[in-house]
Amino acid sequence: MDNIVIFGAGNVLLSDEGFGVHFVRYLENNYTFPDNVKLFDAGTLGIMAMHVIEEADYLFIVDVVDVDGKPGEIRIYDKDDIILDRIPTKMSPHQIGLQEVLLLSEMRERLPKVVKLFGVIPENIEAGTTLSNSLEEKLPILAELLVKEIENIT
Amino acid sequence: MAKKITIDPITRIEGHLRIDVEVNNGRVSNAWASAQMWRGIEVILRGKDPKDAWAFAQRFCGVCTTVHAIASIRSVENALNVEVPLNAQYIRNLIIAQHSVQDHIVHFYHLSALDWVDIVSALKADPKKAASIAQSFSDWPGNSVKEFEAVRDKLKGFVNSGRLGIFASGYWGHPAMRLSPELNLILVTHYLKALDYQRKAAQAVAILGGKNPHIQNLCVGGVATAVNVDNLATINMERLSYLKELMKETAEFVEKVYFPDLVILANYYKDWFGYGKGVDNYLAVPEFPLDTKNEKFELAGGVFFNGNIKPYKMLKNHSEQYLINSITESIAHSWYEGKDGLHPWEGETKPYYTDFQADGKYSWSKAPRFDGRPMQVGPVAQLFAIHASDNTEAKRFIDESLKRIGVEIYDLQSTMGRLVARGIRARIMAHLSLKFLDMLVENIAKGDTEYANHTDIPEGEFKGVGFHEAPRGTLSHWIVIKDKKIKNYQAVVPSTWNASPRDEKGAMGPYEASLVGNPVLEPEKPLEVLRTVHSFDPCIACAVHTIDPEGNEIVRVKVL
Repeated sequence: MDNIVIFGAGNVLLSDEGFGVHFVRYLENNYTFPDNVKLFDAGTLGIMAMHVIEEADYLFIVDVVDVDGKPGEIRIYDKDDIILDRIPTKMSPHQIGLQEVLLLSEMRERLPKVVKLFGVIPENIEAGTTLSNSLEEKLPILAELLVKEIENIT
Repeated sequence: MAKKITIDPITRIEGHLRIDVEVNNGRVSNAWASAQMWRGIEVILRGKDPKDAWAFAQRFCGVCTTVHAIASIRSVENALNVEVPLNAQYIRNLIIAQHSVQDHIVHFYHLSALDWVDIVSALKADPKKAASIAQSFSDWPGNSVKEFEAVRDKLKGFVNSGRLGIFASGYWGHPAMRLSPELNLILVTHYLKALDYQRKAAQAVAILGGKNPHIQNLCVGGVATAVNVDNLATINMERLSYLKELMKETAEFVEKVYFPDLVILANYYKDWFGYGKGVDNYLAVPEFPLDTKNEKFELAGGVFFNGNIKPYKMLKNHSEQYLINSITESIAHSWYEGKDGLHPWEGETKPYYTDFQADGKYSWSKAPRFDGRPMQVGPVAQLFAIHASDNTEAKRFIDESLKRIGVEIYDLQSTMGRLVARGIRARIMAHLSLKFLDMLVENIAKGDTEYANHTDIPEGEFKGVGFHEAPRGTLSHWIVIKDKKIKNYQAVVPSTWNASPRDEKGAMGPYEASLVGNPVLEPEKPLEVLRTVHSFDPCIACAVHTIDPEGNEIVRVKVL
């Protein structure tokens, strides 16, 4: 059976920055998944969580994205968006960025078949341990979206 | 004419660090280190339950999660004078040591090797020749012609399709790169392989800590990891023997791959033992408690001044008043307001941003000082302390390693020396992991199954400090508890010691001072600056990591 990893990234001490982690906790509290679905609270780990990424056949990353738009808006990117188009110009300042981690996995021939990034536009990334309302509201919506995504994997 | 170079951000580190240097006649003549992110963590902890502090504290940083958990729990235990059962100490020691091994492997290969290793040159390598060179260094089974050939071909595919972009900060063909194509291929192959071994260390931490990266098993007074050799759901014999397997495999990787690769770099870049000394005062605290009262430690700590490897003072435990009382933080050049030079228990965190002012305030990092002096923390400091102590076992690793490289202990005070010190420390940590596991098993076999002293937070006011010698150096968490709530919390972390800006006397911090005198062959490609900064294993820590798919944030090297 295919391994599915839901990879929630972010720092929960910086309000909306921790969205991915809050999301994983939300799923833990509200859903029961079969054994082949792993919920991973990745925190702000980059390369040190690479093995979790490589365990997946389907990788769903949830994180905040710094793009123009209204707080709470969800943007979905697929594998090529993440590792092909943007790579040549983009270097994350944070250890080794997600893009690099994915390309390294590809070099090791262990890249998941499907990689999707569910990005949410943050409202507030000041110090704090809770989400803003506009992002809190998105937790169940994104959860439904993801569950549908998983149900479609046969 | 002086050229001013701004590198913003420094890549392959955790967090956002900006470095400015002035270059005169091919050498750095002045430098500024600026942490570009505000760390609001102290503010978050105020008012929280001290029992929960460690769970928040381990989210301070992206990669050093366990270290903040450990320092935090120790601060509360210190404040309340709580004893920690032996099993809990050993389990914590194992987590600390395995986390260190993982951290050092990742730092060497993934965060700093590309400053010295030219991936593109590896394409020209002869895999047979590479294998015979690698086999002459070590009998590790991965050093086969087949393996080297496979990696070379894979790299070719990536280069031909123009997809080496991820390594955008790799300065291919830079005149300061010196390894032969074969050596480059060996290092690149191990770079890819190292990912499997950092994982084994992470698994070991997960078994002990219940989870990794964010361990779940600490509690004030011990650990929540139940110990019962016969119970499937606890630390039992099956888990213990799996742990041992994992730790042995990582130890083998450190001995047969990581350290030999370090010997190669050290030999080809020997002149880098002559650059990057920087601040030559050193501080390391004792680590790995061996009793329940934190009086006896496996590794010693010490204070060293002016490059003297004879200690000014050895530190035997974490309760020494000299250690506790000597630490203050200057904010003269940091984006904070308030009183300057406060002790962490009185510390304040009031942001006051002014933009980058080379002569004024220019960093979010405070400037920690010991006895009024800047200090360098990290593996070099710890090795000095071990060397000066009577621990012959750990000292043997230092002497044997230095002999293989052909340098003396005082040579560790340099850019290459910091890489070497970290490799030696990795050897010591891999060895100690196996030793602590034996101690744990032996203690359980004696019939001791205690793992926590249940502790309630009493009414009243208490102050505590949790010291920890982390992979990047001395870490301390300072807590003031009042009426069962956190009244004040300050973290003085290794990277604030090393990334420290100038203080009120104008004294530079270690990164800044270490850059002065470095060669810079090509100002547009300041590879040498990266070598020295990366040698500290910067972890500016504790901040945002928002993904930015539009590519707005590009590495910027500005030459004026």
